[in-house]
Amino acid sequence: MGVAITTPDLEPAPTRPGPLRTRLLPYGLVTPSVAVIGGILAFPLGMLVWLSLQHYGLRELIAHQGEWVWLDNYRAILVDPLFRQVIFRSLAFTFACVVLTVVLSTLIALLLLRVRRAVRVIVMSALVFVWATPVIVTVDIWQWMFDYEFGVINYLLTQLHVGNFIHHNWFDNPLQGWGVLVVVAVWGAIPFVTITVFAGLLQVPGELLDAAQVDGAGGWQRFRFVTAPMLKPIFLIATCLSTIWDFGIFNQPYVLLNQRPSSDYYTIAIYSYRESFGVSQYGLGATIAVLMVIVLVVVTFLYVRETLKVAEIQ
Amino acid sequence: MRFRKPWVTVVSVAVAIIAAACGGTSSDNNNSANQTGTLTVWLMNGSAPQTVIDQVNADFKTKYPNVTVKVEIQQWGDIGTKLDTAFGGSTPPDVVELGNTLVAKYAAAGALEDITGKKANFDNSSTWLQSLTDSCTQSSKLYCVPYYAGSRAIIYRKDFFASAGVTPPDSMDGLLTAGQKLMTAHRSDASFSALYYPGKYWYAALPFVWDFGGDIATQSGGKWQGSLSSSQAQQGLTTLNTLVSSLSRADKNGDEAKQDAAFAQGHVAMIIANGWEVGVILDPKAGNPALKDQLGAFPIPSHTSGQTAPVFLGGSDLGVAARSKHQDLANAWIATLTGNKHMADMATVGGVIPNTTSMLNLGTGINTTFYNAAKNSKFVPNSQNWASVENANVLPDMLVKIFTKQQNIADATKAASDRITTILNGGG
Repeated sequence: MGVAITTPDLEPAPTRPGPLRTRLLPYGLVTPSVAVIGGILAFPLGMLVWLSLQHYGLRELIAHQGEWVWLDNYRAILVDPLFRQVIFRSLAFTFACVVLTVVLSTLIALLLLRVRRAVRVIVMSALVFVWATPVIVTVDIWQWMFDYEFGVINYLLTQLHVGNFIHHNWFDNPLQGWGVLVVVAVWGAIPFVTITVFAGLLQVPGELLDAAQVDGAGGWQRFRFVTAPMLKPIFLIATCLSTIWDFGIFNQPYVLLNQRPSSDYYTIAIYSYRESFGVSQYGLGATIAVLMVIVLVVVTFLYVRETLKVAEIQ
Repeated sequence: MRFRKPWVTVVSVAVAIIAAACGGTSSDNNNSANQTGTLTVWLMNGSAPQTVIDQVNADFKTKYPNVTVKVEIQQWGDIGTKLDTAFGGSTPPDVVELGNTLVAKYAAAGALEDITGKKANFDNSSTWLQSLTDSCTQSSKLYCVPYYAGSRAIIYRKDFFASAGVTPPDSMDGLLTAGQKLMTAHRSDASFSALYYPGKYWYAALPFVWDFGGDIATQSGGKWQGSLSSSQAQQGLTTLNTLVSSLSRADKNGDEAKQDAAFAQGHVAMIIANGWEVGVILDPKAGNPALKDQLGAFPIPSHTSGQTAPVFLGGSDLGVAARSKHQDLANAWIATLTGNKHMADMATVGGVIPNTTSMLNLGTGINTTFYNAAKNSKFVPNSQNWASVENANVLPDMLVKIFTKQQNIADATKAASDRITTILNGGG
């Protein structure tokens, strides 16, 4: 999590070039990581693009030989009305999750500053516990919570006289179902963002906040004009990572809906998986995955640009 | 040459050792004792009881003492994904159990060995169940060996029927009337279902479509045409919808995976189920053995009084991977499992319908109903693209839309029918 708030003042770079060995050293140091990233990211991504330009069904998979169709897969996907729905749904879901995650995490982090040490330790442990539990296990528990017949939520809501929730299926109505998915996703995302924001809050100098208070700034104003600007890089990173995770969400809806989500619950990752392994159209599945990467690159580019700007100012 | 001789000996011995270690089938095919290698077998969860597998392997071992058999049990849930990747790889399992609706897809893609010429090596190959043989056949070539079949009937609680004063009905109307009486008798139980029917249970919807003369799709001139929107099919689904809305409190968005557990809990009078599900209901851990004497079964009645509705004949086949390096051993293992001795065990111990008509007399007690149901059975469109229809959830989605009233029957069947036409004709 070690996100530095301020970059230390660097010595100006020496103008006189050193001996060859010194000049090559940085490249030598960076080579292993470039090689690893190339191996585990660039190569599969390249394969994905290569696959997306072919007609690649089960027969081709078994023969290890695809049929080159250039951009036909992209044309087919871009006119597919389901794909548009899925993209829209994934974006709306991502937006809702990211906003809720960042807002709730910030509130919890601010609360952690105020509470007693013991409470803080308990809350932090609970957060780490949530973060550390494998996602399949947590989703299984959520599935039981929202179960149609034996669900805890249905039982509680009925006992609390909120209404008759016996035999209520939360996924009958897609809007409600997506609400459940947002809850599950946000619940899983809060720990990381909270701990990151909390770490950032500890770095905000107390004198600045005291000075603002002396000048008559209220709680909201102190947050808005002192804390928030100092935490901007952290918010940017947290938002950027949350966007990437929520946009590519797969496990939660897939497991929650018994591995057979109806098309109302396709996220873009599930749609890609269904096309690939469901109907054995690996070329189309790869195309969807490539489009997903493109959307993410565009979105994250904006964040990264902002982050760099902030870094330059500081 | 004097100096080289020891080298020649060493090299030839090494070659011989390597050949023996790598070669699954030695040059002398007739001498089974000399064959070595490891045979990988994929069986599905719940197909053969462990005792049967152990005996098959023991018998195989006496004939092929130097062959190791590795039986790996697979789950049904995402088997399509696993099969795709396994067949796409260079070392697929040698023997694969395939659901009978999946065979056409893998046979057409060239994943399975053509065993037409070896048919006579298998016991009872002349009396194999027709529907299973059909599922193994493509362009008059045989790609797998029928393994076992399953057909559905209605499992019911005798005590519930007796206390509500109803008897097993002999028509669909009778089923509704009996169900309504059961609902009235249990009106104080908010969880009670006279007929527990989860919304995505498409295998159990087919008898209703077929009974009124409808079908999933028809083929003419090499082209498939989805036909769920026909008036007959709609009539069947309308009847089913009435039954579900008046008799079932099961999850309209759920599948049949939990129905045996729900039945065992005692708030259910009837389920549409396979014969082997009786065992799940009575299982000491997952079910309730106390229900043993209360279970009965009757065939799904037709809308024509006194007749039964055609049911879906499910089942499994055993195929050999085209890329298997031990095809002869694989076929020999399949012949052992589907041979007279072990097939009889599959029926008596495993409770499934055996692969041959010559053993259909082995059904006893409650199983008789399921064996008889197999005689009036139908199958899904025999197309290499059918598996894609299944994997795209076309039928479950349609049923959920109907039962939850998101769409009326005409619109839902039209949408499903169009999608089926597209997929069966090769469009994704």
